[in-house]
Amino acid sequence: MGALSHAVPAYITAIVFGAVGLGVLGWRMHPLNGDDVVALLVLCVMGILSESVRGSDVGPRTALSFTSIVSLSSVALLGPFGAAVVGAVPHLLGVNKDRLQVRVFNSAMTSAHGAVAGFVYLLIGGTTKVGGVGGVWPLLLRVGVPLMVADVALCLSNAVILSGIVRLTQGIPIRRFVLGMLGTSGPTYIGYGVIGFLFVVLWIPAGVGPFTAVLILVPLFVARWAFAQYGDEQRAHERTLSALVAAVETKDVYTRGHSERVALLCDLMAGSLTLSHQDTEALRFAGMLHDIGKLAIPTRVLRGADGLSEADLASIATHSARGVEMVRDIDFLSDSFEAILHHHERMDGRGYPGGLGGEDIPLFARIIAVADAFDSLTTSRSHRDAQTVEDAVAELHRRAGAQLDPSVVAALERGLARQTWEPTRLEPGLMATAGRAFDHDDPAASELMAGLASPGLVGHPQRRAATVSARQKAPEEIAP
Amino acid sequence: MSNGARALKIEGVIGALGAVVTLGAMGVVALQFHERPIEPILPIIPLVCVFFVVIAMGETFRVTLPGSRHTAPMATAAALGFAMTVESPHGTHAVYQGALVVAVATVAMAVGLIPNVIRGRPVHLPDLANRLICIAVAALLFREVPIWRGHTALDLHASWPAYILALFMVLVSAIALTVEVFLLASVRAARSHAPFGRTFEDEFRAASGLTAALSATSALIALAERPLGIAAIPLCLFPLVLTQFAVRRQSTIRRTYRQTIRTLSRLTEFGGYTEVGHASRVAALSMAMGHELGMSERDVLDLEYAALLHDIGQVSLIEPIPGGATVLAAPADQRRIAHDGAEIVRQTGVLDNVAVILEAQTTPFRQVREFDEVLPLASRIIKVCNAYDDLTGASPNAARRNAAIERIHLGLGYEYDPRVVDALIGALGRRG
Repeated sequence: MGALSHAVPAYITAIVFGAVGLGVLGWRMHPLNGDDVVALLVLCVMGILSESVRGSDVGPRTALSFTSIVSLSSVALLGPFGAAVVGAVPHLLGVNKDRLQVRVFNSAMTSAHGAVAGFVYLLIGGTTKVGGVGGVWPLLLRVGVPLMVADVALCLSNAVILSGIVRLTQGIPIRRFVLGMLGTSGPTYIGYGVIGFLFVVLWIPAGVGPFTAVLILVPLFVARWAFAQYGDEQRAHERTLSALVAAVETKDVYTRGHSERVALLCDLMAGSLTLSHQDTEALRFAGMLHDIGKLAIPTRVLRGADGLSEADLASIATHSARGVEMVRDIDFLSDSFEAILHHHERMDGRGYPGGLGGEDIPLFARIIAVADAFDSLTTSRSHRDAQTVEDAVAELHRRAGAQLDPSVVAALERGLARQTWEPTRLEPGLMATAGRAFDHDDPAASELMAGLASPGLVGHPQRRAATVSARQKAPEEIAP
Repeated sequence: MSNGARALKIEGVIGALGAVVTLGAMGVVALQFHERPIEPILPIIPLVCVFFVVIAMGETFRVTLPGSRHTAPMATAAALGFAMTVESPHGTHAVYQGALVVAVATVAMAVGLIPNVIRGRPVHLPDLANRLICIAVAALLFREVPIWRGHTALDLHASWPAYILALFMVLVSAIALTVEVFLLASVRAARSHAPFGRTFEDEFRAASGLTAALSATSALIALAERPLGIAAIPLCLFPLVLTQFAVRRQSTIRRTYRQTIRTLSRLTEFGGYTEVGHASRVAALSMAMGHELGMSERDVLDLEYAALLHDIGQVSLIEPIPGGATVLAAPADQRRIAHDGAEIVRQTGVLDNVAVILEAQTTPFRQVREFDEVLPLASRIIKVCNAYDDLTGASPNAARRNAAIERIHLGLGYEYDPRVVDALIGALGRRG
């Protein structure tokens, strides 16, 4: 870490010097004159404004970088030096909570982007005397096209400079970061180019002047506002779902907090298995809701006070199908249905409700099965203490193949290497109320239920399941 | 006259107005073609074609705003831009009449609807009429109405600096769009039996972001045509595409949120704590009453969520109450369930308003009079609706309904707020 702690300031210093150098070079090539002052001021104010009302972070696909639009507009209106100044000012003067170091870095970085884009624009024949260009085609060829190329340069410069700092602070390889960034935010840069071009055309050839800023920015601010609202509502939605699910679970002592932890474990494994963002979301929601069907099971059975009959076990086995039934009306969960339905299947085909085996079990369901078993083992029970992470993983390895998917168990192990996991120790008082409650997630319970697997057990939920799962096997194929 | 009939009548008036505007515009255009040769129209044919295509496409890709409001931002912005175009490239003055704008927009919108009709999506005729009226207002204000010594804005624009023209264009669009909001609010107010002032405020607030974006974009289109020609139209709509995308995302997550709350409200039914359908019936009735009592959209949403979740506190009970009817439970139990429910909802950290409503849902109305206690209107509404639904159940016949109302009347002023009970009787009367 010692070398790294020096590397970051050194990198930032280098970028600052680079930006200043580019700015000086820009002035040499293309100095500003008195007419440019108004444009320079307006663009700086625009930059400061958009920097100060930065929306909340709502993911790479929905973040709008106004700075890029402002930079590109200044490239065509002012040239490289102007673009460098307009890039530098907002981060230094804007109102935000960033630390000084971050401000200086961002400022130098956007300044360098602006200058680079400005040089590219002039090199391939773009003009900053937009007023002298008459006609549609000349405007497109001498302003539009060079601006799009400058836009590409801006995007590349952004990816490269950022990849350096990310490499130093988070250790992500430069190549991977650059490619990832071009993939996610590359397309939006095309949009920035178009908007920058409109800005320039409206300012000079259409003669609207500084008022252009209002016309261009209003739709963008509305878009940003709507994205911010979207982000807020999305967070609110997730919190509501998890909190209410947690509340509903209170009636079963052993599931308290269990769903939340399973969702976390699913997230961990999704990282190891490099699932897409959307799949990870679906998996996390499935993890959060996988046991929701237990609400339909009588409290008496869940508390297991009188010992459990075979019929009681059969009734517990219905919970996965009942769970899907409950959440079926929520459209966005449709990717999670199969995972909820099949999370008690076994690799050897003796699980419930479908009796699916091996690869026929949906991947998400196999992941939840592992998370479920792991959390059960690492949570204290009235008859035993919580197992350590190592013991639990060893236990999962023993059950891999027959009950659990070995590749998913391996994914969990990789995930646990990245992030520490604390076993859950329930308070003794709470445990006393749990009494002899039956823990259906305990891997031993899976064996017990598999041993019971009779048509009476699997038949009932099967009929419900048929409507949900297309990949379901016919009843004859279920292992006896 | 009942409110339902009033809603129909207002929609009828708006529809008729839309039809008159459309037919009038078509008639004027037809007359013009009849009287004069086609030459003066020729230079603007490409312009008209591009606007036609863009409006039609905008109509096909319409969006639904939160609160099931249907709009077609691209079509509206393009049509407004069309209404305010002053000059196409090479100095050709765009001297066409406002009637042409309305006629072209009407036909383009009709064409744009075809894909949606084929896919079986619903067509909202009053919304279409509103949109056409909005376009007509802008076209009239900009091209036909004399604003200075007998001259229209179209005549005067050459003597104005560009930024004044831009400001004027934004203003014209904003006025036209506000007229649309006004018409929309009158339909909505009549339909949900809500006071007009409140509904207009809600509609205005919901539309304000998009109104601003549309006003700016339409001015952008009209101004950029001078240097860029018809290429300006698709280019200038580009920022609006982003806006539309963002708004659509926002509206989707809002819908998802509602679905989730609705589903979670049924968890107590699955668990056998409450009667099937109770929560959603209480919610529907509560919302109808909330509108009628003049609550804002935001407050009605909180009321809806609170009504859906009002029995969530029961999940903390070990054994369900018979039939889930809290009206029959002992007052202390009722209060505890309400309190538990509020605590559960408070855990989310984002539904505090709903928690406040839930907390007070069992408080008798007399505490407002005797101790000046502040009791949210939403809580009073839920108390009445819950009692009514517990007493009547899923399929109320006239006798059960009368018995329930009679029982609620016994608690008038003591348990229940008389104003809310009046609203209940009004809402039930309209259901027939």
